[in-house]
Amino acid sequence: MKSIAMLFRSIAICSALLCVGLAGTLRAQQWPSETADQTLKAMHDELERSRQGLQSSEGEKPYFIQYRLLDLDARTITASFGALISSTATHNRFMDVNIRLGSYQLDSSNFISGAPFVGFLGSAGQVGVDGDYNSLRQDLWLATDQAYKEAVTSMGQKQGFLRSLSKPPEVADFSQEKPVSEVDPRVVPDWTNRNWEEEAKQATAAVRAFSELYAARITYTLIYETYYVMNTEGTQVRKSRTLAAIEASIETQAPDGVPMHDFYATYASRPAGLPSAAEVAHQLQTRATRMMMIRAADPMPAYSGPVLFEPRAAASLLSQMLAASVSGSRPPLSMIPAVDEIMEELGGRSEWSGRLGTRVLPAGTSLWDDPGAANAQGDPLPGSYAIDDEGVPAQKVNIVEGGMLRNFLMSRRPGPDSAQSNGHGRNVYLGDPRTASSNLFFQSSDAIPPADLKKKFLDLCKQDGRQWCLLVHEMDNPEVGISHSQDSQDELRSIVEGVSSGERAPLVVYRVNVADGTEQLLRPGHLLGMNLRTLRDAVGIGNDATLFSYIQSQQQEIAGTALAAFGTATNGVPSTVTSPSILFDDVEGREARGQMRKLPLVPPPPMPPKQ
Amino acid sequence: MIFIAGTLSASLHAMPRKPEGKRSAPQQQAAPSPVLAAMSAELDRTMPILSNAAPPAYFVDYTLSQVRAAEVMGSNGALLNSSENLQRFLEVRMHVGSYALDNTHKVGAGGSVYQPSPYTPVPVEDDAAVLRRAIWLETDRQYRAAAEALVKIQTSKEVQATSPEEGVPDFSREQPHTYIGAEATLHLDRKPWEQKVRDYTAYFRQSRDVLNSIITFTAQANNQYEVNSEGTKVQFGLVRYRLEIFIQGKAPDGMDLDRYYNFDWVDPKDQPTDEAVYAAEKTMVAELVALGKAPLGEPFAGPTLLTGRAAAVFFHEVFGHRDEGFRQKDASEGQTFAKKVGQQIMPSFISIIDDPTMTRLNKDVLLGYYPFDDEGIPSEHVVLVDHGILKNFEMSRQPLKDFPHSNGHGRRQIGAQPISRQGNLIVESSKAVSNAELRKMFIEEIKKQGKPYGILIDDLEGGFTFTGRGQPQAFQLEALVVYKVYPDGRPDELIRGVDIGGTPLVSLTNIIATGDTTEVFNGYCGAESGSVPVAAAAPMMLLSGLELQKKAASTDKPPMLPPPAHEHDQPGVKQ
Repeated sequence: MKSIAMLFRSIAICSALLCVGLAGTLRAQQWPSETADQTLKAMHDELERSRQGLQSSEGEKPYFIQYRLLDLDARTITASFGALISSTATHNRFMDVNIRLGSYQLDSSNFISGAPFVGFLGSAGQVGVDGDYNSLRQDLWLATDQAYKEAVTSMGQKQGFLRSLSKPPEVADFSQEKPVSEVDPRVVPDWTNRNWEEEAKQATAAVRAFSELYAARITYTLIYETYYVMNTEGTQVRKSRTLAAIEASIETQAPDGVPMHDFYATYASRPAGLPSAAEVAHQLQTRATRMMMIRAADPMPAYSGPVLFEPRAAASLLSQMLAASVSGSRPPLSMIPAVDEIMEELGGRSEWSGRLGTRVLPAGTSLWDDPGAANAQGDPLPGSYAIDDEGVPAQKVNIVEGGMLRNFLMSRRPGPDSAQSNGHGRNVYLGDPRTASSNLFFQSSDAIPPADLKKKFLDLCKQDGRQWCLLVHEMDNPEVGISHSQDSQDELRSIVEGVSSGERAPLVVYRVNVADGTEQLLRPGHLLGMNLRTLRDAVGIGNDATLFSYIQSQQQEIAGTALAAFGTATNGVPSTVTSPSILFDDVEGREARGQMRKLPLVPPPPMPPKQ
Repeated sequence: MIFIAGTLSASLHAMPRKPEGKRSAPQQQAAPSPVLAAMSAELDRTMPILSNAAPPAYFVDYTLSQVRAAEVMGSNGALLNSSENLQRFLEVRMHVGSYALDNTHKVGAGGSVYQPSPYTPVPVEDDAAVLRRAIWLETDRQYRAAAEALVKIQTSKEVQATSPEEGVPDFSREQPHTYIGAEATLHLDRKPWEQKVRDYTAYFRQSRDVLNSIITFTAQANNQYEVNSEGTKVQFGLVRYRLEIFIQGKAPDGMDLDRYYNFDWVDPKDQPTDEAVYAAEKTMVAELVALGKAPLGEPFAGPTLLTGRAAAVFFHEVFGHRDEGFRQKDASEGQTFAKKVGQQIMPSFISIIDDPTMTRLNKDVLLGYYPFDDEGIPSEHVVLVDHGILKNFEMSRQPLKDFPHSNGHGRRQIGAQPISRQGNLIVESSKAVSNAELRKMFIEEIKKQGKPYGILIDDLEGGFTFTGRGQPQAFQLEALVVYKVYPDGRPDELIRGVDIGGTPLVSLTNIIATGDTTEVFNGYCGAESGSVPVAAAAPMMLLSGLELQKKAASTDKPPMLPPPAHEHDQPGVKQ
């Protein structure tokens, strides 16, 4: 077993620098400095004691112990129609302990049993924010003990279950990785000198003039995190990350009773990167104006024919279609068949597993993920990171080249096609790291200018003898777009029913007149059968690549499925997809299943302009 | 139904025999908040339209709760979190149909068809237009839900059997009340508390038996604003402070052990001193250590002595919940007391009142104080049991045949529908002897029954009581500190691993006598309408019989490694 003590010395030497190095075989040493980070020191000391001390009566020791700690500073500001709903500032710290018994090939993890160990405290929890050495050691000690008992219980149940299988899985449980030491300087929260409460109010005051608007809500979420990982392989990482988000929704009801919504969401890697209140107000006014037009528009009729996705809509579509298939990690073993069934129903099954070397996307297209990507100004994208949440350096991964599947995104959970992580284990709030994309890029060597693509689109429509065709400008995110949780759940349910067969919900759809190319808004319906096979057969790709940022939900059961694309700032990992326009030659569409509600009997009360 | 009063928790202070209550009548008049005007304006616009709709809305209530809450938590010597928030929540209560039959009507044993949405966050600033827009939207939502429910109810009624309470209206008609009380404010410096929770929890690190400690300080200033279509207009504020101390340990066999203590106060000058907190902590550690060494108790039935606060929890669970008015009506309920009004249900020396108008009992704050309940009805002193005879129920606006009106006990946690709940449940005795005398009687009873020992219950954590049909009409109380008391003069022996069980009608008649010192239990009680602050008060109580049963065992052994702070202690030497 390697000692990690030496790594701490390097922290002390270059605490203000970015240090990356690999741990050698080193002897345990005394903590070098009283002034060093007491959090790291406590984690180290308790990890070392646990590594040496934890063993079963038969002498079996864990082969892997990992401590993770999250220091979370968060501000959340919510406003509606120019009035403040709430403004909160919190500072919390959480820990999580993971212990693995057995070996990398077969261990106590990756197993969902019907009866997990339930101890008196659990292996994760909240800890003090003071960086107090003694209390953290106490907390880690108890969590370690619980994690060990969880592992013992799980290992016993897993071995029993494996004996009942005719063909146990051959894929290893955990990848072996080189230890990494990187201790970034702690970032002190900088909320900037902007008055976020005032901005949230100003941004939403702008839509008071829309008398038919039922609800308007905006939430600013500003998060500063310091994330610690330390394990018995010798990895120890301290890194900071920041997320700044604006998520706004506007809602109304069409004259025939169908509820309607629109939303605005933008994500930045730091608060200062967020747009001004005036810009957000402009965005909301534009959307409110558009929604009032859609409200009066015809519903999208049943449809079968060519559909053109503009870049943002295409990017959102890709985020839904690719979530499950770009991951090469195998799903955990489960004693409960319902778990697999739910994943399947939510579009969580990989369509690409076992298909390395075959064509999975249109010839000439490439798909890659680059966690190190930056924007034109050199700032990191919201989904960027240097080291993943399992302490593995992030790598750019070429997933598809020339339309052929070349590689998968990998966390430390191996899969049938790949045994090593490429730095794509991600999580939120110390949940189990899962394989997830960061900054996905999709492009084609045969890309054509948008005007040419639109011509191609209209030509296809003419060939079909159609008078009009569908153009998708924007896709929906009901989690962000609907403020009332019950309504949002109703809308999600209407999507969930068809998600495994590729049913997708656009938000802004135009009817394009084939004769003159003019566009007319429609009330959106649903598109059907839009899975990766549809994408493989796409007939045209533009050169108008646009960046779309969103949050991949890490909520249990939804993470890794098509629905994970509907994340919000507080439940997932920031991600981006950069995609050009995509043209499909044959897509089916139908009217949305939305419930027609009676219109309110009482007219809305007056909403004078903000004083 | 199962009531889990697991969070029910006590603070113990001894008092003289005759409890001197302090009542607070709502009389103070202050300036009305602008939110009342906004709510009234929206109600005035809404009612003429919805009351003429089909089905008609005959009662609409708007309640806005403003909660300013500060919380400072510490654990094992460090600060966990410290924050203060201001929020406002709107609840719209909608009744369509008529007082006789409305959308809240329960059909058969299936319960309520009407599922209103819980609450809507509304602006914390007085922007009347935005508040009114939110009220309008929520009113429409509730009206649609209520109208749909009423149709279902009217259809179901044709096929469901009727119950004896069938002719009773669904909702009581009440007089309107106008009361504009002072609004509560909170001016709190959290910094001193941040240091206190660090210091108070650091104390526990001295003991290797305390595995985990958590201390929570909370301060809340809550203002409630309510208007309804009957003309009620009420505004009042309440401030509450609470310090909770919780420690956990494990017996050598792995059994979970914990001790809990809390301080409640409403006036900042009544904040507990450091000396008082450390004294409580010292006792908690001593009890935890003793419990770790204590033998396991065995199932037993026989004479039982409950200390005052244990007796208070006993009455809260065994009597208080069963005397909630709505349970007498609901076809799915066991209705233990439904037909017992006017009958002797316990010894004639026991009387029970529930009085939410009381702010204090002697020096103790009573957490169950409120001037108006959550249906806009003034709280009332209600005699529930008079000299052993059942007289009344805790009533909300769900009437019973012989109790057509609320007595101000309709309560809820923000977001839930109010139902009848307890406030300050106070047990009085006309057969009180000194506590020392009661202990003598206890020993005599053990001898008389020929039992090897009796049971002294010093602390209860809370409990469950099953009131639904299809379940045994039983209660279970989670015992924390229990002693075997031997008739031969041996010292009392602490035991662990037992709970108390029994059936209400039998247990209540088993009371032999009471002590002369009333003790107060303040806590938060959980039931169908959420968690509400309550108090219970009772003197020490001797019962001829209660049952001890084994507690559900925990599965994990004590930690494998010693605590980091005590790694180098000599085995067996406690520091």
